[in-house]
Amino acid sequence: MTAYFIRRIIQMVIVVFISAIATYALLNLAPGGPLAGLRQVQQTGRFRITEEDIARIRAYFELDLYLPYRFTRWLAGWPTGPVTIGGKAYLSDVEVGCRKPIETEVLNDQGKYESIVTGCNELVYMKDLTGRRSSLGIIRGDFGLSWRLLRDRPVSDLLLSRLSKTLQLMGLQILLSLLIGIPLGVYSAVRQYSKFDYIFTSLAFMGSAMPTFFFGIVMILLFSLLPKAAGLPYLPAGLSESIRGYTIPVIGEVDAGSAKDRILHLILPVAVLTIVNIAGWSRFVRASMLEVMKQDYVRTARAKGLSERAVILKHAFRNALIPFITIVVFTIPNLFSGAIITESIFSWPGMGRLYILALGDNDYPVAMAIFFILAVLTVIATLLRDILYTVVDPRIRLS
Amino acid sequence: MSTAQVAKLSADTVTIEERTPFQIVMNRFKRHRLAMVSLFIMIGIFIITILAPVIAPFEIQELSVNDYFVEWGTVDQATGRIHYMGTDNIGRDYFSRLIYAGRISLSVAILSVLISEFIGIIVGAISGFFGGWVDAVLMRFVEFMLTIPTLPLLLIISSMLLRNDELIAIPEPILKFMSSILLLSPRDSRNAVLIVMVLAGFGWLSAAQLMRGTVLSLREQTFVEASRSLGASNFRIITRDMLPNAMAPIIVDASLGLAGYIVAEAALAFLGFGIQDPVPTWGNMLAASQQFMLDRPWLPLVPGLPIFFCSLAFNYIGDGLRDALDPRLKL
Repeated sequence: MTAYFIRRIIQMVIVVFISAIATYALLNLAPGGPLAGLRQVQQTGRFRITEEDIARIRAYFELDLYLPYRFTRWLAGWPTGPVTIGGKAYLSDVEVGCRKPIETEVLNDQGKYESIVTGCNELVYMKDLTGRRSSLGIIRGDFGLSWRLLRDRPVSDLLLSRLSKTLQLMGLQILLSLLIGIPLGVYSAVRQYSKFDYIFTSLAFMGSAMPTFFFGIVMILLFSLLPKAAGLPYLPAGLSESIRGYTIPVIGEVDAGSAKDRILHLILPVAVLTIVNIAGWSRFVRASMLEVMKQDYVRTARAKGLSERAVILKHAFRNALIPFITIVVFTIPNLFSGAIITESIFSWPGMGRLYILALGDNDYPVAMAIFFILAVLTVIATLLRDILYTVVDPRIRLS
Repeated sequence: MSTAQVAKLSADTVTIEERTPFQIVMNRFKRHRLAMVSLFIMIGIFIITILAPVIAPFEIQELSVNDYFVEWGTVDQATGRIHYMGTDNIGRDYFSRLIYAGRISLSVAILSVLISEFIGIIVGAISGFFGGWVDAVLMRFVEFMLTIPTLPLLLIISSMLLRNDELIAIPEPILKFMSSILLLSPRDSRNAVLIVMVLAGFGWLSAAQLMRGTVLSLREQTFVEASRSLGASNFRIITRDMLPNAMAPIIVDASLGLAGYIVAEAALAFLGFGIQDPVPTWGNMLAASQQFMLDRPWLPLVPGLPIFFCSLAFNYIGDGLRDALDPRLKL
């Protein structure tokens, strides 16, 4: 068991490390980034940007360092300068980047000019790194500074301000899905082939085929826009609280930022997430319940004269939940990412929306931080799921 | 009960015709009524999108200047053509764009499925058939890819690829092929090729696992052993003995995959990281309709309902195929 854990944890570290390298390279190798806009400004010639300005900005975003150094500085906050051993600095003349690359316009095979880096006017050496601003590294919990969305503020501030919103949404959603989805699935399985079961399975089937983004828009139409236009009570959609106070028929006046306001804003996104989730989960509960109801021990329980209620709740239900638990555990990473689409539709200021904004705005430190956290969470959830398998079903051994 | 059944059976068996496996499957499929309805709906949608250039009165990017959001059924003054569903916010015919969007969305989904199942079959077959370190390496890789959160990664990759569309050089013949299917210029079809690559790049994983499992169980069967003892080569065993037997789960997976890809493509486009605006897809039309739905509440339904119907239909067809191809298969 211990050996298993050690192996799994090493595997986890490798998975996270490789996916971090891959996404980091993906985001950083591609041209564009924070300098893309600058070059256009330069071309108009109104604000003449000198070569020195560009070099300074490149250094500011660490774009002057070679990719491996940039990556290790982002990951572990190293190297920060020459290695000093016994008062003597080593490696201080190692070349780590290029401050002013020479760019040559070359005619490519499609007949267009593109600039290619052909050399370097001014190299950056290890000793130049001393005294430069550097993050502690993502593995020590320092995600660096935001480039665009909240310029020069730590990414962690940005994440923390969004975290509680996502937790609110997802916590509530998961709780409701469990409370509604499990009983629905069990009831439907117990009454297999009944009218209820038929309606339930068809609805659940449609629910799991329904794309979230379309469902969200339909919900906004049905419960927000149309009733509002018709002068009926409606639910506010968009953001997590309103900026100004407003009046809703029947419900009355709502102050901006009050508890009532927040709850009203929560209802629609939570409903969308919950309904979609229930469709999947309850179908799963139903299937595993049907499977268990066929088992010999359920027949035994019936044969020895237990009430149907006891048979279902004590003998069947508890065993049917075993595979279901593992599904639920796997939604932990979704706490942060699964709501990307829903948060976008409702402009909910959570992590998912932040991720989309960061990608759209070239704010790579923010996007990388969210992706890194997600990767870690997914890997942990996978391990947890495998451990839970053995806890709930002792017949399965980890090896 | 049993005697009655026996009597009935014996009466039938005398007159029973010889049926091909295809007929048997078709008969079982026909019993799934919703799947049959879905099949007809999808065939209808396919015909409409294939005939798009004939049916659509307008070109995709044809602008009717100053005719923004005209009513349904408005007649274009200059040419006498009808805007069946009116125009969008910059005066493009909504109905024509909807049909072409269907052609693009469905083509992207179908190509993604074909490519991902193809890669999945090859990788899964190699992995399951040869076992040993080949299997270990391939399956570790698949497991690794599956542990990465998919949607965030898809978003990163497609945002990168779309912003720097010169980053990956796509061979001219592929662009030509794509543009002839989508009826777009080769330049515009670039996006679509990239999205197919991204979707298929992650889609083959489950197909590979499925194929590997099937091959592993088939490897021990006597008919494979018989083939081998007759001196069949590995290639022949895989293609002649194993593939036909592994087709059932693959076909079901592909049908459900189609539903998944239609939704995934639309989701990417909806979030702004898919096929971009001048080229219509159901996803980006839906996203664009969002800002006008205050005044025109029906607008998002026009591109949204086809996405939902296609997703639902392919799910039903997959369900029906699963019942028809292999009644023992579950979930």
